[in-house]
Amino acid sequence: MAATRPSSFCGSSDHTIDRRGFLGTIAAGASAFAADMTALEVLKTPAVAADLKNKGKRVILLWLAGGSSQLETWDPKPGAPTGGPFRSIPTSVPSVRISELMPRMAARMDRTCIIRSLNTKIGDHGGGARLMMQGRRDDPSVRYPDMGAVLAHELGRADSRVPDYVTFYSATEGRGMAPGTPGFLGERYAPMSLTTETVPANLRKLDTIEDIDHQQRAELRDLLSRRFERDRSLSGALGSHNVAYERVRGLMASESLFDIRREPQAVRDRYGPTQFGEQALVARRLIEAGVPFVRVARAWWDSHGQNFETHQEMVPELDHVMAILLDDLAERGLLQDTLVITLAEFGRTPEINPSLGRDHFASAWSATLSGAGVKGGAVYGKTDANGRSVVDGQVGPAELFATIYQALGIDHEKQYMVGSRPVPLTDAGTEPVTAVLA
Amino acid sequence: MRIRGKAIAIVGIMLGASNPASMGGELLPADRPIAEAVDYYVDEAIHREGIQPAPTADDTTMIRRLTLDLAGRIPTNAEAQDFVGSSDSGKIVALVDRLLNSPGYVRHQTAELDELLMAGRRDHLRDYLTRSVSVNRPWDRIFRELMLPDESETLGKMAASYLKPQIKDADRLTADVSSTFFGVNISCAQCHDHPLVEDWKQDHFYGMKAFFERTTLLGKSKDGFLAERGFGTSRFKTTEGVERPARMMFLSGRKATEPEATRDATEEEKKLDKARFEKSQKDKAPPAPPRFSARAKLVELSLSPEDRGFFARAIVNRIWARLFGRGLVMPMDQMHSANPPSHPELLDWLARDTIAHGYDLKRLIRGMVLSHAYARESRWSGKGEPPRPSLFAVAALRPMTLEQLAASLRIATTDPSTLPDDQKSAELDRRIETIVQQGSPIAEALRSAGDGQIGVAEALLFSNGKRMDEDLLSDRDGRLLGRMLKLSSPDEQVTIAVRNIFGREPDPDERTALRKYLGLRTDRPAEACRQVVWALLTSPEFRFNH
Amino acid sequence: MSAPSAEKVKVVKQLARPEIVFAAARRKGTSLLYFGGSDFRVHAVDLGRDRPEARELGAHSSYVTGLAVAGGSLVSGGYDGRLNWWDLSSGSQIRSLEAHAKWIRRIAASPDGRLIASVADDMVCRLWDAETGALRSELRGHEEMTPHHFPSMLYACAFSEDGQHLATGDKVGRVNLWSVEDGCSVARLETPTFYTWDPVQRRHSIGGIRALAFSPDGSRLAIGGIGQIGNIDHLDSKPRIEVFDWRAGRRIGEAQGEGRGMVEHLVFHPRGEWLMGAGGYSDGLLLFCESDGTKALAQAKMPMYVHDMVLNDDLSGAVAVGHHKIAAVNWSA
Repeated sequence: MAATRPSSFCGSSDHTIDRRGFLGTIAAGASAFAADMTALEVLKTPAVAADLKNKGKRVILLWLAGGSSQLETWDPKPGAPTGGPFRSIPTSVPSVRISELMPRMAARMDRTCIIRSLNTKIGDHGGGARLMMQGRRDDPSVRYPDMGAVLAHELGRADSRVPDYVTFYSATEGRGMAPGTPGFLGERYAPMSLTTETVPANLRKLDTIEDIDHQQRAELRDLLSRRFERDRSLSGALGSHNVAYERVRGLMASESLFDIRREPQAVRDRYGPTQFGEQALVARRLIEAGVPFVRVARAWWDSHGQNFETHQEMVPELDHVMAILLDDLAERGLLQDTLVITLAEFGRTPEINPSLGRDHFASAWSATLSGAGVKGGAVYGKTDANGRSVVDGQVGPAELFATIYQALGIDHEKQYMVGSRPVPLTDAGTEPVTAVLA
Repeated sequence: MRIRGKAIAIVGIMLGASNPASMGGELLPADRPIAEAVDYYVDEAIHREGIQPAPTADDTTMIRRLTLDLAGRIPTNAEAQDFVGSSDSGKIVALVDRLLNSPGYVRHQTAELDELLMAGRRDHLRDYLTRSVSVNRPWDRIFRELMLPDESETLGKMAASYLKPQIKDADRLTADVSSTFFGVNISCAQCHDHPLVEDWKQDHFYGMKAFFERTTLLGKSKDGFLAERGFGTSRFKTTEGVERPARMMFLSGRKATEPEATRDATEEEKKLDKARFEKSQKDKAPPAPPRFSARAKLVELSLSPEDRGFFARAIVNRIWARLFGRGLVMPMDQMHSANPPSHPELLDWLARDTIAHGYDLKRLIRGMVLSHAYARESRWSGKGEPPRPSLFAVAALRPMTLEQLAASLRIATTDPSTLPDDQKSAELDRRIETIVQQGSPIAEALRSAGDGQIGVAEALLFSNGKRMDEDLLSDRDGRLLGRMLKLSSPDEQVTIAVRNIFGREPDPDERTALRKYLGLRTDRPAEACRQVVWALLTSPEFRFNH
Repeated sequence: MSAPSAEKVKVVKQLARPEIVFAAARRKGTSLLYFGGSDFRVHAVDLGRDRPEARELGAHSSYVTGLAVAGGSLVSGGYDGRLNWWDLSSGSQIRSLEAHAKWIRRIAASPDGRLIASVADDMVCRLWDAETGALRSELRGHEEMTPHHFPSMLYACAFSEDGQHLATGDKVGRVNLWSVEDGCSVARLETPTFYTWDPVQRRHSIGGIRALAFSPDGSRLAIGGIGQIGNIDHLDSKPRIEVFDWRAGRRIGEAQGEGRGMVEHLVFHPRGEWLMGAGGYSDGLLLFCESDGTKALAQAKMPMYVHDMVLNDDLSGAVAVGHHKIAAVNWSA
């Protein structure tokens, strides 16, 4: 365990065990648990056995950057003045209909639940993106971690040899709006971020150094740093610095995970030749190897002009990629432990503007959850006939995040200590949407 | 953190720097040196806790810390040796003054202010800041010039780079100005939970915003001019849906009372504004300022004797945080009564002193770094747990900024024999600035790999990045590795590497370990030396200002 | 040559509509306008009246996007893939055909009124006997997928004045010219500027050929749409027209309007005085050019985004339909 540990909030020794500590003990050869975690203490320690239930849980977030239209995907209103030209089609779940642009997902509706009643209030890209990645509004006095960092922390292992939080964001649109933010969890939980490249930067050893030397110079560095660490706290940046270097070799070993050429051609063909498809395939490879959280951002949904042309092009791609991803995960026995989320910073206005676009809209839109911990085929919440407002089962960002955490076996009321301040995973009083939980 | 509406008003009064005694108790006399006041208040708090602070850091540490803080780079080994070897009792003061008058100070202070003001936005304020820092332009004047840039002359054109890119988003600009210059983040008032926050948000936020709402951009941001209407009020909707006029109001609650500020524009007045703007566009020249300027009013109110406490305390707190690792108030944009300073009297004293001496930042920095509090060791070898950081009983370990790191990496990997011998010469300063300039590709690489954050992206960059390998580990003439390879004995190689990178002699254990590493690679001595340099450069002793 | 100046273009009548109106047709010599749109319906309205009131003829099961008068019938096409025939005198539906598997984007009647052409996102142009509804030929020459693996779209079609040729234009900027008589392809033009795709900046395509028109002598073909788009989320480019000597395969002119916008409809002045594009962005626009497309002459604002337009018989103005509005404009006063 790391150097200094703050006393737990109520001072009881019952709280001195935390999950990571426990897993760290049972994991053979566990290295020192992330030093920056010393600032954080789980206040409400659930029974260890209960907490183990999230072991092996994984998440793939399909981030529809720019804001996809709920009306052209999960909450169609055919025939309404706001409904647009697309029809709805029946799905494998009686009484549930989705847009005709998603025939593949319609056939797999029993694997997916739809929340049609998001009201998240923030309608600008930056604010919306941060809100939907963090599950709450910015607070100037606390740097909140985003979903990826929290899940990397909760689901990953401190001594992981693979990355915990990988994010693909190849588009320029909105990339800077919600960069992966580890917040108070510290840089240990910053994402491995891929933008223009297909393999993370600097993962491959240069030819100018032999492998043995690459390894042993790191050991030499470690030796030098020990001298410096004497009488200094490993909490904070010093700990992060060392942990970062400790993880280098392990991360380098994960390089092959990013190489889809290692997949059989038949598998690659299923995912298709699009960038989104290829990145979803890499996401599956990463999940399979134990990476707890992967975000694949697919941008250009911000259809202020020509909404229907945009969605006619992009929704079938989403339909294809999502359906194949769910199939592939199911065939490999991974779907029961993997939660696939579709989410964006907001949805789009029911009103159709003069350039046949739809604008930003955060008052009544949809997200989906598929796989681990959720009730496939469930539809939660309802919008009015024109899709202008939620009429039943309103869900805010906090409720959505509580639902995601619960689906993964994580107590959404769990608290971290940030300095002397307890910070719950979701704001106090938040209830998950139990109706969609398995 | 939620802020109570009433609390803010109280802070406004309390902050009147002309009346600091409102805190209760007299402050130290104003004529004391800054360092003395710092030590008086910091030591007082330490003694109250019954703690023995960490001892004073050794000379090697001090010259490194000071050179990083004042010139944004590590010292060369020769500079360090020269300083350590000197028996002059005034050598610290001499060093501080030399550094404060070096080109490195201008570069570093510019970079720090750029980061504070532009927060990573890559616009072109640097030119303005470089010119300002090089003449030690007072902070209030910088503020005035950023708020009221005169675009008809060169410096004003440069200064306009602050407002221009932000003027279209008045909400963000309002939050940005309040937080940067006054230490108050009013955007946080968007919380809806606290009943008292609502009225604070409405009046203060829109009150501050009203100072900027009359300003617009004529033309496109690069070629266009800032233009301010002389008339007109705006309205905002309260959360209850009631429309209210937005009155120009400073954070203290003081309002602009001029008729031009408070009533709607007449048709005649609208025409005047329009004519002024049209003339500007026709002449391709910045429009004349209006008779009553809202931005000028903001400057006037915020620098007035009654209300300048916000402005003075905010900059004192930021400079303190830069040098001591954390602010006297944390977070730095939450300066309100619900979030008191760790050392209230010290903050008041420093704010008063800063105002009295014309917002001279160089003087403020000089005073702080000459204190004993600044000079403590960053190790805690005392009994028990280290004292809490807000006591400043032990120096904070501070990660170098991206720019400090890039500059230092270049200095550390320069062949020391290529530098001038005279450690106090202008020639040395020039050489060093050239070397630092050459570090900009490294700064770029660091920026793209995690933006200077201490994380795995940076570790991967150093471990496998081609740029790092080819630049820092180059064995060309003039570089450290080139020099090492010309030395015959491993012992000499180890010594020069540790000196150049850590600025000190290797200790026996290190010497043994490094020699052993080289000894196991006698078949590839050049590679072995590269790896030793790599291990030193990537170690925390190099990465941190300690 | 002379084109109306922007100031001369006056809105003389406006009719607010609850739906977005995509298509219009008028029977020559009358003021009776047929229109259809986002409410799935086909309406008729007599614009000659002081207070025109729309009368519903019938409905499709999706957006109505094409209307043409041929002989004694009105033919409508929609996103439901159907072509419906309506009797002009009684207003009742004569027949309804499943014409395409995907959205019908546009229909056109041959100048002699004997043929109806329909283009749809199944990337086929079909020619129908306007009298009997019999399928006369299928013209296939547009790729179903874009080069970037997305479904393509076939937006535009137009007959030449002599009825011998037909042009069709798709999303990626290809124009095919067909011999109407035998359904053979007679020429192909590529106009890549109308199609925006950028694998780095914009992994999503937009644009396409939205309007086509033959010059009165049939030698030139005008093509309308939008230029290369900077921000495709906002249609950030200028309205664009290219004119080809299509037999030579040579572009002879290109003209761009001011501001942002898309050209949705093109019409040549019958005596070659101008070529006009209509369309819009958040507002509507009329763009008059030299009839060889070498120069933009004037651009006027329209009260709404224009999706379709019918020229007055005396060329004094036109009736435009578009975003929640029908507007009659006049430019000869």
